[in-house]
This record gives sequence, structure tokens and C-alpha cells, in this order.
Amino acid sequence: MNLITYIVSRLLQMIPVVIGVSLVAFLAIHLVPGDPVQLMMHGRATPETLQAAHAKLGLDQSLLIQYWHFITNAATGSLGTSIIQNADVGKIVGERLLPTVLLLVTSAVFAILIALPLSIIAARRSDQAADHAIRLVGIIGFAMPPFWVGIILMLFFGIYLDWFPISGYGRSFGDRMYHLVLPSLTVALFLAPILIQSLRAAILDVMTAEYITVARAKGLGPWRILIKHALRNALMPVTTILAVNIGWLLSGAVVVEYLFSFPGLGSLLVRAVGQRDYPVIQGLSLVFAILVLVVNLLADLSYMLIDRRVLKA
Amino acid sequence: MTHRKSLAYFGDWGRHAVFASAFVLTASSLAALSSEVRADGIKRGGVLVMARPDEPLTFDPFIPGDNGSIYAIEQVCDALVEADDTGRGLRPGLAESWEMSTDGLTYTFKIRDAKFSNGEPVTVDDVVFTLKTLSDPAKYLAFVLKPVKNISAVDDKHVKVELSEPYAPLLSALSAYAASIVNKKAYEASPEKFGTSPVCAGPFMVESYERGSTVVLKANPYYWDMGTDGKPLPYLEGVELKYVPESNSRVLGLRNGDYDVISTVAFNQAKSLQADSNLVVESTAIFRLDYVYLNHQKKPLDSKDFRLALNYAADREAILKAVYFGYGEVPNSYMPKVNFHSDAVPVIPFDLAKAKELVQKSGYDGTPIQIMVDTGNAPSRQVATILQQGWEAAGIKSEIVEMDVGTAWTMTTKGDYQAYVSYITSDINDTDELATIQADVTAGSQAFFTWYDNKDVQKMLTEARREPDPAKRAALYAKVQETVYNDAYSIPLNFAPVINGSQAHVKDLKQLANGWWWLQKVWLDK
Repeated sequence: MNLITYIVSRLLQMIPVVIGVSLVAFLAIHLVPGDPVQLMMHGRATPETLQAAHAKLGLDQSLLIQYWHFITNAATGSLGTSIIQNADVGKIVGERLLPTVLLLVTSAVFAILIALPLSIIAARRSDQAADHAIRLVGIIGFAMPPFWVGIILMLFFGIYLDWFPISGYGRSFGDRMYHLVLPSLTVALFLAPILIQSLRAAILDVMTAEYITVARAKGLGPWRILIKHALRNALMPVTTILAVNIGWLLSGAVVVEYLFSFPGLGSLLVRAVGQRDYPVIQGLSLVFAILVLVVNLLADLSYMLIDRRVLKA
Repeated sequence: MTHRKSLAYFGDWGRHAVFASAFVLTASSLAALSSEVRADGIKRGGVLVMARPDEPLTFDPFIPGDNGSIYAIEQVCDALVEADDTGRGLRPGLAESWEMSTDGLTYTFKIRDAKFSNGEPVTVDDVVFTLKTLSDPAKYLAFVLKPVKNISAVDDKHVKVELSEPYAPLLSALSAYAASIVNKKAYEASPEKFGTSPVCAGPFMVESYERGSTVVLKANPYYWDMGTDGKPLPYLEGVELKYVPESNSRVLGLRNGDYDVISTVAFNQAKSLQADSNLVVESTAIFRLDYVYLNHQKKPLDSKDFRLALNYAADREAILKAVYFGYGEVPNSYMPKVNFHSDAVPVIPFDLAKAKELVQKSGYDGTPIQIMVDTGNAPSRQVATILQQGWEAAGIKSEIVEMDVGTAWTMTTKGDYQAYVSYITSDINDTDELATIQADVTAGSQAFFTWYDNKDVQKMLTEARREPDPAKRAALYAKVQETVYNDAYSIPLNFAPVINGSQAHVKDLKQLANGWWWLQKVWLDK
């Protein structure tokens, strides 16, 4: 199949999924009781004010009509206006998108940097002391709540050693990467154990394949076999795991963003849900859905880079 | 470190200021009241970095109801009348002076020669436009100007506010953030743009506004008020307001020297922070009451005896110790300590025998009552547990229900609850606002969702609102306080204070009882 037609057809398939996700998110948030005006005014608004405000915001219309307005506006590129901030939702979400994407990317890079050498060692020394130690540390890392890990990292690297900033986002690109170190590390420490487990299993599995035996018969050294032949094939499941976990990572980022005062989508979502800022919640659900789908598409495309056979199939 | 605990002292200040403001006021007489004459030594310049638990969502004064926005707007915008350095009294703002007609129905404000942050003069048109916009019923805070009939310019220096009935709290209402004077041209051009780059006449102006992270303010070069050195305030070059929602992160940042000031230190962290000699930790009484809302429409809470029993079986000393780490004061009122608070009302004591007797008398049938708390709010959950133990001992069964704050709040406003652990705060320094909202079921919010209906109280509140003599108003509000409190309107828990932490080099930071802080007189000694 031609690569371009493949990408286009995948993009077209996304449309019904995105609509479905946005509909579910829309209904879910509207079915939970809550009134943005009452919440914002902490009960101070009089009935006349409430009525006038609801009419202005269109909240007095039926849910179906409200959803129709939302989806038709979204189709023309407008996500509406935040009730609480009186600002364009597209702009608010747009400002927060880059920090979260950067956080996810750097977290994934850190996780791979941690997982790759450790899983190779674990696989090479499988069922020996080093393997057991790595797996044990992995389980401990996985079991520690990210919130707590974040505070420990802040205390050690931020305050005791004073190497990295403990909160905020920074101004310039370099400064931002500097601010990203501790939050990404927090996410990575949670993600890495999952990667180590699957990568180790995949390497061990690949090592029993016939072409490895052939390579060995050709007299190639064990490290060369591992890196040139085994790792390339073992990377496939890792890509899948990263892609599948993207939704989970987005939700995990909420905690980390909160802890490190990081201006990302997660902290925006928590606030918007708490205040029932419907347009922002709807806009975010759309962005999250697209983000997850795009990452999965990228994962599929990267299979092709790793393994050309997928492209031919 | 300094502790401001002398509440009676501040109470008198508030009364004094309101008394004066009910009559003719001039800037000079008020300056004597509120200004703190300092010897030299104040240093100009520097940027104050402050970490807060909430962020400004907009600078449009007519929209918000959240503290994140309100406290930031207060730094950037001035109103006709402003809160003084304690927040308990008033001082002139963009109005230099004002006069009230003898029937109490007309106020005439003389507008000060002041400039907006863009250099344009503050005109009577701007003032009339602002107040008219605020009184539009579709604006959320319109209720504070409800008795206002007409607003008009007399000449190019004076603005007249006409009332449909005497309204003693008017000056307090005009000091609210929502009555901040906006530049008409800029606001009309684009309210949305105004929300991020406002044109106001306060001590600071917005330099940059990154949502979810930092607001950078710089000194407004055209600010009208002068420092002790005869040059315009503020002393600071600028302020960075950082949004740091996590309490631990704020404390770590302060210890690390990243922030000069952190607001709202968690009660359980205050003591350990105090141990650090480089830091100043200050607890300030504010207009806040933490209490359990009771829905008087629901059985068995419709019985006054039963509600009293809940109060007698509430071990508030234990709550103050365990949940608030000793910060605060066991309340003797159904509302926060605002200007007409009376200290004379005795506290309902912890008395299990009395509670048991009242339970018997109320004819309680043993059905458990539900006490609602916000999910994830550990202190509220702890409060509910301590209450539950006391009630159990008095023969009252109860269940704790957790709801996310949005749901809990909506259930409360709909009357779909029995008891809810929450709080209330007042933005303005006049008792009328909260007394009316909380205790008058006809005022629009069902006596703050208790459905408490007492005709005598409603009558006294109406009378107090129209009464120009502060002494008579004080007597009326004291009577209301005693009545409502002893009708077991709610279960008051604590006059909860706010705790701020700062580096020792931060001087003259004023935490106001209204919740926010004045930064125009802050200076850095470094």
C-alpha cells in the first residue's frame, strides 16, 4: 500500500472516533451535577443573575442543541469561549499544549534511556543476580506513587544538590528544558519499569529465534548480535507499549503538572472540571482524543521504519 | 515572627472607619487613621516573587468570583473607595472625598486627579461606565449595587449615585474588586483583551500574563498615591505572581529561596516553617468561617433541638487542635468576624449530657444523617470524623459521604443534602453582605442553602441596612448574631486564619482581612 494513502485513510478513520469521544465527554460532564455560574460565585448569584447568565452562555438550551452548536463550531475551527476566563478556548488550550507535549516527549526519552541499558543487562544476565536486582528495583519504582517520587526528587536534586529548578516552566527553550528535567524524570521513573519488563521479555524471546542462531553460527559476538539483531526486533513491542500508554501518561501528567506547577493540559483539565467550565472541558476532550490517535498513528508509522515488512503487508 | 491575634483591636478599627465614612470624609482625615508614618530606610526597587495556590483567570473585574483573579485585580485596579491596610476599614481610592445627602439617598463622589496605566486621565465617564456596567443584572456581582437607582456625572469632577432606599454598606460595596474603575475606551474596544491586559489605575500594571504559570506585574508609573519619600508608589519595580497549586511545592520553594513570599501555608506545615529563623511566618485573622452547612428543610434537621444537639456534641477544641493545629478561634457566630461582629455572644460549649437531652427532646428516630465532604479534602474528612464520634456518643447516627467539590456544591445549592463541611468568606468589610446572604431566606440564595426562615431576623437585617448610625447598626447585628447562632443555624467550626510565609528581607507586606494583600508599600531590604 502506498504510504500517503495509508496515512490519509488513517486520518479519515480518526474523524468518527474523535466525534464519539467528544460526545461521550460532553454527555459525561453534563450528566454530573454542577453549574459553572453558581460554582464561580460560590452561591452568591441571585436567581435573576443566574437566569441571565445561563441565557447568555446558552446553558438554558437542551443538551442536544448545545452539543450541536459545539460540534458545528468545532468543525469551523472555533472551540468556543471559556465561561470562567472569557477567552477563546482554542487559545487557552493551545498555550498549554506545547508544555504537555514536551513533558510527554522528554519523559518517554528519559524512560527509554533508563530502560534500554537496564533491560539489556537483565536479558544478558537473565536469572542471575543483576537481573533480579534490576527487576526488584523496577517493581519498587513502579509501586511508588509519582506524587511522592516527585517530592523526593525535588528535595534531593532541587534543594539538597540544587541542580534543577523545582517548579515552573521557564522562558526560553533551554530554560524550559532545564525546568522539564525533574517533572520528566518523575514520569519516567514510573514508566521505565514497564518498559524494562517488556523489553527484557522481548529480547529473551528474540534471542531464541533461528536467525540469532544463524548469526551466532556466523561467529558474531554476543553484544553485536544483541544490538544489531535482537534489539531492533525487540523495539516493536516497546513502541506499542509507549503508544498504548499515552492516554495513561496524559492522566499521570496531571499529578506531575500539579506538583511541579507546570502549565500543561492536565492542570487545566482538573481546574476546568472543578469549575464546570464546559467549553474548556469539551475542547480538551477533543485535543486529548486527537493527541492519543496521532501518537498511535506515529507508532504505527515507526513500525514501518523499524520493520519494512509492515509496509509491504 | 509576628502574630496578629488581637482581633478586638481590629474590630474597633473597622467600626471607626465605617462610622467616619458614613459622613463627610476627606483624604487627610483618613490618612491619619490608616497610614503608618515611617522613618526613612525604605528602599525602592526590586521584584517581589510570590507563590500562590490559585491563579488569576481573568483581569476583567466584572467576571470573576475566584480568589485567584480577585487578588490579582486588586493589585492592578483601584476603585472609588479602597480597603485600608488591615482590610477592616476603608480609605479613599480614586474618589478623593464624598458626601452623603441628609436622607441618605444620594452620594456625591469627587474624583481624584489620577491616571490610568496608559497615561490617560481617569474621568467621570470612566466611573459612570464602570458602575453602570457592574449594576447590569446579568453581571454576577450586580447584587452589591442592588439599591442603586441611578448613576450620573454632575460635572467633570463629580459623580452622583442615587439610591432607591438608604443603603449603609454602599461604600463597602464600592470598594469591591468588581467596582474597580476601568478605562471605558479600552474595555469597550475588547473586553476579552481587557481580561489579559487591563487598563486600570492601580499601583501595578500587567506586563505579561502566562496562563497557568506566571503573571508579571510592573509598577504603574502614573499611580496617584505617594510613598513616604514623596515619589509615587509602589516601592517595588515589579511583582511576579507564580501559580503553585501544591502546598508542599510552595513551602519547598520558599525554603529554597525561589520565592520571597508564599501565601496560604497549610496548617500542618506552619509550625515546621516557623522553626526556620530566616523566614517570617505570619497568621492573620481573615473574614472566613469554616462551618457545617445544615439543611433545615430535611428531617431531623428541621428540629431546632436536634440542630442544637449536633452543636453541643461537636468537640470544637479537638477540631481546632487536630485539624487546624491550633490556628484560629472557636467561633461564637454563624458568620465570619466582619466589622459588626459581637464578642459578647457566648460559645455553645461541648456538652454531651446536654446533647443527649436535646436528642431525646427532638424525638429523633435513629435514622442516620449524612454529612457531606469534598473528595480529597483531608481536613474536611477529619472534621467529619471528629463530629461523628461526638454525635455517636450523644446517640446521633451519621454517615460520611464524599463528593467532588462541584457536585457537592451543586447538591447543596439545590437543597439535596443534609450537612456539608464547607466555609464562607467575605470580600467586603461590611457585615450586611454575608448577614443577608446567610440569614435572610428571601434574599435570593435560600439563607445560603439552609432554608433558615426567621421573620424577626429578616426584619432586623432590613432595618440595619437602612440605619446610618453605626452604633445602632452594631446593636442590631449583635442581636441577629445571637439569635441565628442560638437557633443552631449551622455548626460553626473555626474562624480560620490565613498563614503566609516570607523571607526576612520582605518588609511591610499587609495581609488584609478580606483575603488579599497590599503590595504597593512592600519593599525589599536586601
